[in-house]
Formats: sequence, C-alpha cells, structure tokens
Amino acid sequence: MRSVFETMGTVASIELAADEPDALDGIRGIFADAEKRFSLYRPGSELSRVNAGERPLAAASAELRDAYALAMDWHLRTAGAFTPNRPDGSIDLNGVVKALCISRAGELLHSLALKDWSINVGGDVLCAGLSPTGDWVIGIVDPVDRQSLLCALPLGEGRRAIATSGSAERGDHIWTIDRDTAAEFVQVSVIAEDILAADVLATAIISGGIEMLDLATDTWAIDVLAVRTDGSLLATPGVRSLISV
Amino acid sequence: MTAQLAPSRIGSPDRRRQYRRRARRSDLLVTALWASGAAAAALFLSVGGAGQFGTAADAITSLGIITGLVGSDFILVMLVLAARVPLIDRTVGHDRSIAVHRQLGKPALYLLLAHGVLLLIGYGVGSGFNLVTWVVDMWELPDMPLAFIGLGLLITVVVTSLVAVRRKFSYEGWHLVHLLSYVAVAFAIPHQLSNGAVLSAGPQRVYWIALYVLAFGSILVYRFVEPLVSSLRHAVRVDRVIAVAPGVVSIVLRGSKLDQLGATGGQFFVWRFWGAGMWWHAHPISLSAAPTANYARITVRDLGTGSRAISAVKPGTRVWIEGPYGIFTDSARTAPRVAIIAAGIGITPVRALLESSSIAPGEATVLLRASSADEQWLWPEVAELATEKGASYFEMVGPRSPRASTWMSARDQDRGVTLQSVFPHLLDSDLYICGPTAWLDLVEADARRAGVPAHQIHSERFDW
Amino acid sequence: MRTRAVLTSIFASVGVLVIGWQAGSAAMTSTQPTRTSSGTSGTSTGTVLGTTTATAPAASGAADGSYTGDDVNTRFGSVQVQITVSGGKLADVTALQLTDHDRRSVQISNRAEPILRSAVLDAQSASVNNVSGATYTSNAYLQSLQSALDQAGL
Repeated sequence: MRSVFETMGTVASIELAADEPDALDGIRGIFADAEKRFSLYRPGSELSRVNAGERPLAAASAELRDAYALAMDWHLRTAGAFTPNRPDGSIDLNGVVKALCISRAGELLHSLALKDWSINVGGDVLCAGLSPTGDWVIGIVDPVDRQSLLCALPLGEGRRAIATSGSAERGDHIWTIDRDTAAEFVQVSVIAEDILAADVLATAIISGGIEMLDLATDTWAIDVLAVRTDGSLLATPGVRSLISV
Repeated sequence: MTAQLAPSRIGSPDRRRQYRRRARRSDLLVTALWASGAAAAALFLSVGGAGQFGTAADAITSLGIITGLVGSDFILVMLVLAARVPLIDRTVGHDRSIAVHRQLGKPALYLLLAHGVLLLIGYGVGSGFNLVTWVVDMWELPDMPLAFIGLGLLITVVVTSLVAVRRKFSYEGWHLVHLLSYVAVAFAIPHQLSNGAVLSAGPQRVYWIALYVLAFGSILVYRFVEPLVSSLRHAVRVDRVIAVAPGVVSIVLRGSKLDQLGATGGQFFVWRFWGAGMWWHAHPISLSAAPTANYARITVRDLGTGSRAISAVKPGTRVWIEGPYGIFTDSARTAPRVAIIAAGIGITPVRALLESSSIAPGEATVLLRASSADEQWLWPEVAELATEKGASYFEMVGPRSPRASTWMSARDQDRGVTLQSVFPHLLDSDLYICGPTAWLDLVEADARRAGVPAHQIHSERFDW
Repeated sequence: MRTRAVLTSIFASVGVLVIGWQAGSAAMTSTQPTRTSSGTSGTSTGTVLGTTTATAPAASGAADGSYTGDDVNTRFGSVQVQITVSGGKLADVTALQLTDHDRRSVQISNRAEPILRSAVLDAQSASVNNVSGATYTSNAYLQSLQSALDQAGL
C-alpha cells in the first residue's frame, strides 16, 4: 500500500504492508511540524526567525537546538565538509531535518509494531523488513539520464538506508567549503544503517570531494557509489557484492 | 533567653529525661522543616544552578525556579503538619502544629506567586515581551494550564483562610474550600515533573517524588486509614446524654477496648456522629474523664450550631473517632509541681487530667474561674478529685472589671490577688491552662511576665 | 532549647545548600565535552560560531576559557576536542589530536574503487521498489521514475 504526499518542497512516498491511516497521519504530522519549524521558505518559521535575529538561538525550542547541535556534531566529524551554516552565517538545517524526520517516522512505524515498510522522501530511502517482492531494492538514478537507472541495489539488515546527493539538481543545501577545484562528483549515493549518516555523508562527499570520500569510507560502516563529472563510477567493495547477489 | 535550669528546679530524673527527649525531637522537627526548604533550593544548585545568574533574564528565571521549589516544599510541609502525625502530636501538640501550618500559609503562597511572576518575566525577556508568544509558549508547555488552575485554587484556599474572610463561613463550609488545597497540589505535580531541568531526572526527581509520597501518605494514613481502623475496631456508640446544666451536656460513649486507644486525661478526640445532618461535622472535644475499657465521656457546651446539634444526638448513634491527640497531659510535666487553672468549658480536659495524673499530695494547686454561678459545670467533680489527690483547690467567681483586661475577677484583682499568690512555687510548677482563648492568652501573658519558662506552660486551645 | 533549634536549623540548611552547590559544580565540570569524533589526517579547524549563537546543550554557565576533553580512543583512533567558552557561550570548537592515516587500525579497506558501468548495470529494474537520486522538487517528481513506481503501487 503506497501513499504519497508533498512535504519540504519534495514528495514523500510511503510503502506499508497494509492500509494504516493512523501511521500515515503520524508521519505526515512529523513532517508538517518540522516544516513549520525549520523551513527557510517561511518567514514565520522558528528557524527563519532565529536567522532574522528575532529570537536568539539559546532561547529557541529544544528541537531546534538539538537539530543544530546534531548538525554541528556532524560538521566536526566530517572535518567541515558538511556544515549547517551558510556563507552569510545564517543557519540552514535542511541537511539534517529531512533525515531526522525520516528517522522519526521510522521510529513511529516501529512503535506501531509495523515491520515491513519503506519511506522515500525526495530520494532518501529508509526501509525495514521485507517488500511485497522480497528484499527492498533501490534503483540509483543515472545523473546523466534521469529516466534510467545506474543500478539496483538491495537494502537489508545493517544497511537499511540510502541517500543520494547531487551537485546538479537541488544543491542549495550543500555549501561547498572553500576549494579551488570544482566539484569532483556529480552524484554520490551512500548506503548506511542510519539515514542521517547516509544523508550527511552523501552531502559531505559532494562538497568535500575524493578526500572526504576516503575519510568517510575509512571511518564509517557505509557503502558508496559515486559518479564523477566525467560519468565514470567509483564503488566500495560492498556495492560490488550487492550487485552480484 | 531560656537559661539552663539548675537541676534542683526540675522534677524527677524520669521527667527530666522525658522532657529533654521531647525537646530534642522538637528541635529536630524544626530543623527538618527549615532544612527541607534549603534542600528544595539545593535541588536547583545541584544541577549547576549557581552558574545561572549571568544575565538579568537568567537570574530572574533562576529565582523563579527557586521560589517554585521552596514554595512547593512549604506547601508539602503544611500538608504534613495538618496530617496529625502522631510523632508531631506527641512532640509539640497538634495545636502548635496547626499554628505553624497557618504561619506557613502566606509565605508559601507568596513564594508560589513569585515563582509564576518571575518565570513569566524571565521568559518574557527572552521572547521580547511579545504577549502572544508569551501566552502561546506558556500554553504549549506541557501541563501548564493545569498548573495555573492549581495556583488559582491555592489562592482561593489561602484567601478564604484569612481570618477576616474565614469568619464569614461556617466551619464546615470553610473546611470544604480548604480541602481544595489537595486538588491544587495535585494539579501542580504534572508540570513540575515534565518541565525544567531540575526535576527531570536523577536523584532530584526521586527526592521530589518521595516528598509527595511522604506528604500525601501521611494524610492518607493518619487522617483516613488509622481513624477508619480505629473506629471499626472500637465500635464506639453514644450511650447516653446527660444534662449538666442549661446548654451543657455530657455524652457518655460506649465502645470496646477503649483503654487500648492509649488515651489519657487531658487529650482530645475528633468525633463524628453518624446521625442525620450531623455526619459532616467533625468535633474536636476533650475527654472530660479518663476513659475506661468500655466508656468514655465528653462534656459539651452549646456554643454554636455544630455543638448544639451534638446535644441532641440520640443514644445508639455510631461514632467515628480520630485520636487521641494532644499533649495537655501528665506526661508533659517537666517541673516538680503542678498549677492548674481553668475557666468555663475549659474545665473538661482539666477534670480528665486530674483524674489520670500521678500527682502526689501537696504537689498540685487548682484554680477554677467562672464569671457567675451559672458557669460552674463539673466543679463538684473537680473539687472531689482535688481532695482525692491532696491538691489545694480554689474558686474564683465573679465578673471581671470592665476597665481592665485581666483574667481575674474584679473583686480579686482589687484584693491584690496575683498568679504567684494563688500558686505558690509558681516558677517550679508546670502551669496547665484551659479556657476561652482570650482569657487563656491573658493568663499566659501574666505567667510569662512572672517568669514562668515557656516549656512549663501548657495551654489547651480550642480555637483551631 | 529554642536557641538550639534555631542554630541547628541554620547549620543544617546551610549544609544542605553547600552540598547542593558542590554537586552542581561537579556536575557542570564533568559535562565538558569528551566528544567521540574522528578527524582527517593533518589538522582541521573547527568553525568559529557567530557570537550571537550558543549551543545550549553544551556547557552553559561554564566559566570562560578553553576546555580540553579527555583523549578518547575510538574505533578509528584517538580523538581529543577542545572547546573555547567566551562570555558564557561556546565560541570555538577545535579538534586537537587527530587520527593519523598511518596510525589508524583499519581492518579492511573499504575504499571506493573505479567500477565499470556495465558491471553495475542491473537489468532487473522491474523489481525495484524505490528510486534514489538527488532530491527532486515536487514538480520534477512528476516526471521521475519514482512517480511511475508510486503510481503502480498506489
């Protein structure tokens, strides 16, 4: 049973084993609340007000402060490749909010004892259990031709999330660190157990290039499929084994 | 100002020890009261609160938190003081406990009001005093609406307890409103546990919950469970009603194993008669005779609607008892001699006290006071007991002088009678006083002026 | 005896307050950061946060100065973080001791290597449940593969 709704400027697709209106309402609520709080397209959102100086960060709600702290945490861990601060100093939490919501939605489903589901928000996917056809299989879009897939990879235990970042389409939340070289990757897909890690690292690798890719694969238990500007691919050993499965 | 008394001025070693023990317990209770307030403030300090006074907004907010904690602690202490905990009653007496309870009322309320106001200001500074943000923030914090209602109830309770307002209510009406304080306290609990950093987790939260358990537990056990068990066990009923004088009756109560109640002369019970229209009055009345295994007696004067209804009670009516309470007893003695002075219906506990006490011949002096011959209820019994115990017995009858405020009759005042002339060795005596409050206060003041130490004065007040 | 009650009360109350205060100070100093974060080889600087912001969960109310966390051994090496507090707010975060490439104990190399498109291409796109790509806008969604999948599944 698939449901679709618009949120955060993109579209969310939820697949559940059966019709669960309460669960869907709950998920919609999670995203709606976050949008109200974090959207930079709404001048009345809490984050917009903080950025406008109407409200000091220290007096902001716990959710906002926690999200910011989380983003700063990842900023440290990615040695600056990922940052929630725009060049003008304002705070942009788009990089973490979407994944946080997906994560929370997953927890909601889990708490409702739903074991088989997938949540796809704008290309970030988190899944659990089994799909109607077996493993959850995720196709990775070819950045050169968005109507075709590069490959299809099964997700499973220990790698339940995949996030893809592109320098082409919606790159406004990627604030590339000051570098002379142009972006080395046009698209990076990261597979991990945690959707937030996948999302942040995908973004960080786009902005940090090959150095960040090496750091990420050395440091975290992830798999990466990266598309270079010339169209050639880089893949971690794990991706290879997933394809041949 | 109380000097250490030389050993020769205190009674037998047993009594001395008993007194010292009670004094120590009393000190401990007082210390516990203040230390609990300090502990409430210390809860805030223990989560790093000392560093939260950097900016004006922070300081105001911190003060708001501290006043909330200490104010709530005082309210809980007040609950315990009203719970008639036997330990407290045995140590300082229930009337003193209630007196402290009353004294804490206004400070507690002021602290809680300050809590609300300071936090509103503190948060307001953060949100730029935008009224809408304010109200929305307060409304969205979990359990805040309930807490506001609780505060409103508390204000109602305290206002109706102010003497000026209380007078306008019947006792039962006032008491009913007062019971709303339980509701007020309960309504405040959720917001304390779901907001803020102090009580959110850890030993602080445990301690706070333990305080509530202690307070409500005391009330549950000592105001409800214990009386219930006691009443069922002793199955007290009205045996007969004896007219003592116009408007004064003695009610004899029959029950089983009443001697096991542990009551001695001078103590009182709170009686509730299960008759039509009477069951919702609770009467604190002293025993007017020492209880036997099967009988107890109270003597009541027709003072108001509540009391008047009592004299009309029918034999066989079931009675719910709470008690025994009070330290107007032989065991409160600290000095070698005894001086007893009673007026009006205040004679009742004195009569019982004399009967129960272990007074040796020559140790005691009794003075009974009445404005006229109409008010000499139970005097013959007291005279007889005095003779039995070898105590000196005096009567003082006559109106007091209209121009002077004195406890004496005009005639005796003119004759130059003083407290010391009535009671020889007054300073070596335990002075037991019981009677109408205004008169009692005058006797007490006179005694203090004469140099009788506070711990040797035992007053039984009927006005709480 | 009343004097004794007063004195004991004062003494006990002060004692309680001091204990609470000490407990609070101990609690504050022990929450100085010992972050388990890893850094790249070489030095990496943290960002200087704007002076108008403060990370509330961190040491609010701590005295000004630099605080260095403990040397923490993570799975990927040892890490040490230093924060600077100024004006009661978090002013700077620096990763000090950083994991060195050579000293890292990596069990298996998980590095990404080049791979041919043909090796990656999976012909069984029919069994795909979801599509992952750079985030599409609501409008772009309508032309996306995901929307086709969703239509089929709705």
